[in-house]
Formats: sequence, structure tokens, C-alpha cells
Amino acid sequence: MTTAAAELADGLRQILGADRLLMGDLARNLYSHDGSIVGGDCGMVALPETTDEVAACMRLAHQAGVEVTPRGSGTGLTGGAVPLDGGLVISLARMREMEPVDVANSCVWVQPGVLNLDVSTAVAHLGLHYAPDPSSQQACSIGGNVGTNAGGPHCLAYGVTVQHVLAVELVRPDGTVQVLGGVAPDAPGYDLRGVVVGAEGTVGVVTRVLLRLTPLPPDVRTMLLDFTSVADASAVVQAIIAEGVIPAALEMMDRNMTLAVEEFVHAGLPTDAAALLLVEVDGTPAEVDTGTAVVQRVAARHGVRTVRVAQDEDERALLWKARKTAFGAVARVKPSYYLHDCVVPRTRLVEIMEVIAEITEREGVMCLNVFHAGDGNLHPIIALDRSDPDETERAMRAGDQIVRACVAMGGTLSGEHGIGVEKRDYMPLVFDEDDLQAQACVRRAFDPDGRMNPDKVLPTGTRCGEVGLADTQVPEGTWI
Amino acid sequence: MDLTPATREEMAQVLRGATADRRVVDVRGGGLHAHRGWPFTPDDVIHTGGLCRVVDHLPDDMTITVEGGVTVGQVQEAAAAHRQGWPQAPAQPDATVGGVLAAAASGRRRLRFGPVRDSLLEVVVATGDGRIVKGGGRTVKTVTGYDLPRLLTGSLGTLGVIVQATVRLWPLPMAEQWFTATGDDDHMLALAQEVLSALHRPTAVILRPGALHVCLTGVPGDVVAPPGMAPGHEPAEPVGAGTVEAGVPPAALPALVRRLAEDGRGYEAWMGTGVCLVAVESAAQVAAVRDLAMLHGGHAQVVDGDHALRADPFGPVPAGADIMRRIRESFDPAGIMCPGRFAAREAVPA
Repeated sequence: MTTAAAELADGLRQILGADRLLMGDLARNLYSHDGSIVGGDCGMVALPETTDEVAACMRLAHQAGVEVTPRGSGTGLTGGAVPLDGGLVISLARMREMEPVDVANSCVWVQPGVLNLDVSTAVAHLGLHYAPDPSSQQACSIGGNVGTNAGGPHCLAYGVTVQHVLAVELVRPDGTVQVLGGVAPDAPGYDLRGVVVGAEGTVGVVTRVLLRLTPLPPDVRTMLLDFTSVADASAVVQAIIAEGVIPAALEMMDRNMTLAVEEFVHAGLPTDAAALLLVEVDGTPAEVDTGTAVVQRVAARHGVRTVRVAQDEDERALLWKARKTAFGAVARVKPSYYLHDCVVPRTRLVEIMEVIAEITEREGVMCLNVFHAGDGNLHPIIALDRSDPDETERAMRAGDQIVRACVAMGGTLSGEHGIGVEKRDYMPLVFDEDDLQAQACVRRAFDPDGRMNPDKVLPTGTRCGEVGLADTQVPEGTWI
Repeated sequence: MDLTPATREEMAQVLRGATADRRVVDVRGGGLHAHRGWPFTPDDVIHTGGLCRVVDHLPDDMTITVEGGVTVGQVQEAAAAHRQGWPQAPAQPDATVGGVLAAAASGRRRLRFGPVRDSLLEVVVATGDGRIVKGGGRTVKTVTGYDLPRLLTGSLGTLGVIVQATVRLWPLPMAEQWFTATGDDDHMLALAQEVLSALHRPTAVILRPGALHVCLTGVPGDVVAPPGMAPGHEPAEPVGAGTVEAGVPPAALPALVRRLAEDGRGYEAWMGTGVCLVAVESAAQVAAVRDLAMLHGGHAQVVDGDHALRADPFGPVPAGADIMRRIRESFDPAGIMCPGRFAAREAVPA
């Protein structure tokens, strides 16, 4: 360990105590990974419990010039929370306090370590919920959700994380603390809150989040539709929306995935179907009746085999469990998986599904698909055994081709998982040099020293160039 | 000098020139949101009217990509041909898309559909120093890179000119109707709160002195007059010598409105959202409204007014002002872009 690192460790130990600074090999190895297959190099791990402690840690890191990677639950799928150069990981997992709900304004301040699902559970008795619901919501944290601007099935109608975050408390790279945004809408100045959400921990450490809470819908209906072709299922996705109905959620699962999930959850899924659609409509009883009728009519027109309507809350929960445990169910097929979450325009769904099938067949890898069909957000999951280098290589190649195919169809790299390390070098596929440089400048405006979660999001070598003029002052006489 | 570039490249070229010559620039779309910020004297006024093409309209994907000078009316018309609309936009057909986004001017339906910033998917901006920069993506969902669309929304022309935008469209509702009630202020306020608590996701609950206007959207069975209200029309846009937009926590709006009514001030409160437009006639009244908003944990900015009303258009320096300044410097290093509209500027020269 360098002297600087040893001094930093001493300082951190004084703030946190010996038990909340992890430096052992096991911890450093654990914190060098997240939910992806990216591996990194972690120097030490701080486990603060308050904003003040985070600020103190950040001041020390600032003085020592050490790189900092914030981390939530570590469920991310792109290596965003993986430190790359032996820096300091600040884990927010112990910051799990929720403040009292502001019922009158339908919002609540939470610490970043609070788990996503725990928010909805805690406010259900008030008739409220926190709308973004990533499939990992039992494990992923609000802080991580803010970092990646997380989505989830219900974001089709309700919008992604940034639409549900009213304010963030940000510990800046030099350790100063600032609240950006607020419960009062549209404050003067730039929407920095909107930039912090989705910045993947590269602009500071978020230590408190003001979440907007949404009324629970008065009525909800969940339907499972099964089809003998993926093309029919995709056509139904398109047709439902063309009829003017935006379902609360509109999810697709292919046969490979259905088989894996059914074996695991036993939800009575039709395992001989080529594709399943999980459709949920919510709102007033009249809206739900109308939406249900549209879904059933459209599905019938496109050769649906059966429409299973959840009869009660238990059955609804079971259908959602089947959907949300899909990633975990892959473990029954292969020990590991590799996935992208690129997005295509919804109208290209059939095409991209065919291309993905071609690619994975050509590379000889098994692909399972479960995804947010309503917004064209794919999750092609390539099952693999990482102890098999050849299979790993083929999986990587297939993933690479899938990403390029999505972009070629007018799509983009990530719908909700973020860029992290894993998709960083694909950024030039969708942005040119000027675009990337502008993003680098926004990042530098928050973190002039470039110590926050470096080498994430933007491709290596992207710099905020010397765009500044020698004299950036407004000329004299500008003002009246 | 008045300039109307015909393409984004021309726009970038004009801005490169202005930066080189340190010429202060004002940007003008439909002119509906022009009277904001500290008064300043531009050397050039750049009009976006030449950027008037619909670039790509994909009704099946429910997105439309237009140049910055295209009007809200044109977008609504193109969308309506496919039974779609842009519900987050203000009811200002002559406002330009670039202007609405630069001003973050949300429409009255934001209670149900959210603010206009949430409808912007991709943005292309000609920066103050004449680069063409794109952010976001045209798909309805993307977290690819830093959120330039949100940064540009509400930037009031201080980073550059919005030359192109892709916005998300929504299906036109099966039914929509405005309802009206008139009566004394206390009664109207009580009625507004009743509507907010009794109905699931009303579209707009607009309170004005002596009148309540409610918009409901959805399936025909749900679009029925709330108790005490009768079918009516969307109220006209408020007009006056000056307008302040106050933002307070939604639950503080009733208290704010009561005080405004006591003071005999004209107002339009968007109940449930925290937004309140207030008619003002003097800088002292601007200050009084701001004090009131700040008392409730909010803020207030002048969104329309002559020079005298805009002596202090934004109020206290916003949090993160140093970050804002560095962002602005990187987009507009010469500081030529609409300098009076930069809320985080250092200080007012004497």
C-alpha cells in the first residue's frame, strides 16, 4: 500500500471505526464485482451511515487524490459500481433510513441504501407507491436506481426513475453537501437534479433522495396471453398501443425463458408457447374495463391461444413473480449470463427478435428473452458457463452483434441498466466526438479532478477539451 | 442585426462568428417566452423560424422529430392526424418547440401528464461556440449517457440554440372535457381540494379568482362533471403587464392562494402541482410574491414583464451555481448567449 493510501485508511478509520473500513482480501474481492461479469480492483471499502460521514470520507479522498466509486446493493449489470484502479469504494448499503412520509405532498426523503421494494411496502397503507419497479426491486437500492436512472415494467406508463426523483442530496467530490431540486417545481437555473440521476456515480455521492410517491390505482387487471409465434405477440404489442391504450406494463417472454421460469416458479405458464405477453392495465374501473376489452380484441385478431386473467391478488402476484425472477431462473440453465438492455423503436420488435435468433444460433449460444416490449427495451440473456472460455468468447461476440444490430435499427445502447464499463466503448456508435466531449464537460463541471467513478460511461480518452476562451468574461457594456 | 439561419449548420456558423467577435446574442422563436431574465442588449437577434421542418414523424412509435423553429401547433396538427398529441406542451400554438423547451414551459395538463421536460427524448443544440451537439436518443426510453435533454430544458438559450428535438407523443384521450364553477374564493378552493382528493388523476385543476376550471381525460364513463361543476371551456391564457411563476410545495398552494386573494392579486394556481402564475405590476410586487413563495419553501421567477419588472427576475442564486457556471462556460465560452437569462450569473454589474 502506498503512503497516501495508508494515510487515507488511517483517516477513514478515525471517522468510521475499524469495523466499517474493509481492507481484507475477501472484502476487496467482493467489492470488485457487481451483478455483471465485469471484474475490477478495489483498494478499500468505507461503510458510512450518515451524510456527515460520507462528506468526511469524501474530504479525505479529495485531500489524498484518491478515486471514489459509490456503490448501492451491487446488483448493477454493467460494472458501474466496480472500481477499476484500486480506489475507495463508498458503500451506501448501511444508509437505510426513511424519513416520515410527507403525505400532503406525496413524497418521502430516503437514504440511498433503502431497497426499492421497501419504499412501496412502507407507504402502501397510505394508498401510495413508488412507481419504478426494476425486476431486482427486492435487492436493488434507491441509490443505485438513481445512479442508473433505473426502469422496470411499470415505467411504460409511469416513467423512469428521474421522473420520480424530486431532489437529491449530493456530496460533491470535495466533500461539500448540496441539495439539488426540491418539492417545489421548476426552480430557476439548470436542472442539475436531472443530470445527477443517471450519472452512474460520476458526479458525487447521493446521500438522500426525495422520492415522489404515486397513488395506487383504484383498479388493476393483469393478463397473460400466449402465442404460437413471436411475430404475433409483437404485433399485439404494437396494436394495443395503436388503439390508444398505454398499459401500465407490457412484457414479453420467449419460450426458452418461459421454460426456465416455469420450472422455477410453477406459475402454470404454457411452456409450449412461442411467446407470452404479460399485460397489466390500471386506473379507474372504467379505464380498466376499456383497456382489458382492447387487449382481448386485439389479441384475438392476432391468433392468441389463451388469455389468462389473474382472478385475485395472489394470482397477480404469482404472474409477476414469474416475470421478475426470470433473471434468477437462468441459473437453472447455465451458471452465468451475459445481457444487454438495448432499445429499439417498438415497430422494429419482430425484426430485432429474428436478428437476435440468427446471431445467437450462428454463435451457438443459448439466448433467453424477457423484456419490456411496450417500450422496445430488450433483455436478450445469453446463458453461459464462464469456466468455458470458448463459450464465453462466443457469448461476447453475440452480445456485440446484438448491440450493433439494435443501433442500426435506430435504437440505443441502454434503456435502464446504464453504460458502466460494459457498454462504455459502444458510446461512439450513437454519439459523435462533439457529443461525447459535451458530456465530458458536463461531468467535469461536477468533478473537476475526475476522481468520481472514473473510466465509466464515457469511452477512454473522451475529454472535456479546451473549449474555454482566454477570456470567458462577458465583454464590458453587455449589461444595460 | 436580425439573422434567420436556414439550417442547423448555418446556425452553428452564425454562432461561431458571434463567439469570435464577442457579439451578444438573443434567440427568438415565437417570442412567447422572450421577456425573461435581466434585460440585456443583444448585438444580434437570431430567429429560429428558418428551422421549420418536421424531420421524422413515426406515429407507430409515437415520436416526432422536428427542428427547433417548428411550432407547437404544427406538432399537434401532425400528431392529431394519427389520433395523438403532445399533452405536456402549453396551449400556445404559435410558440416554437425550441422556445417551449428552452423555457421549460409546461402546459396546464402537467398534473396528469407531467412537465414538458419529461416528454423530450433527444435534443440537438448548436452550442454558443458553434458546435452541433446531440444528447439523449429517439427511443421512448434511454439512459445512454448524460442527460443533456434535461439540462437543455429550461436553459433559456444560455447554452445554445435548440435546433432539433424529438418528443414523445401520447394517444389522444377517448374523451376530454373542461368543467367550470364560479363562486367566492373560499368555496372554489374547497371545491378544488375536493376534486383533487376524490378523483383519480385529474388532468388539470386550475384555480383563478372566483372560478375553478377542471379538465378530465380518459374513457367517456369517467369524464363527467364533478359535483358542483358544469361543462365549460379551457380558460384563456392570463394576460397582464407582468407574470411571476411561483413554485411551492403542492400542499402549500392553498395557503399561497389565500394570501394572493387577500392582496387582490390576479393568479392562476395549478392545484396539485405547486405552480402558480401571479399577475404583477411592479418590482415591489415581484418581491412580495417571491417572499411569500419562499416562506412556503418555494421560489418565484418573472416569466413575462417589461424591464422594470425584471430587476431581480430569478431571486436567490440557485444551489450548484458553480456547477452551472462551468457547464455554461463549456457550451458558451465567450458568454454571448442570452446573458441576462443565466440565473447563476456571478453578480449584476453596477
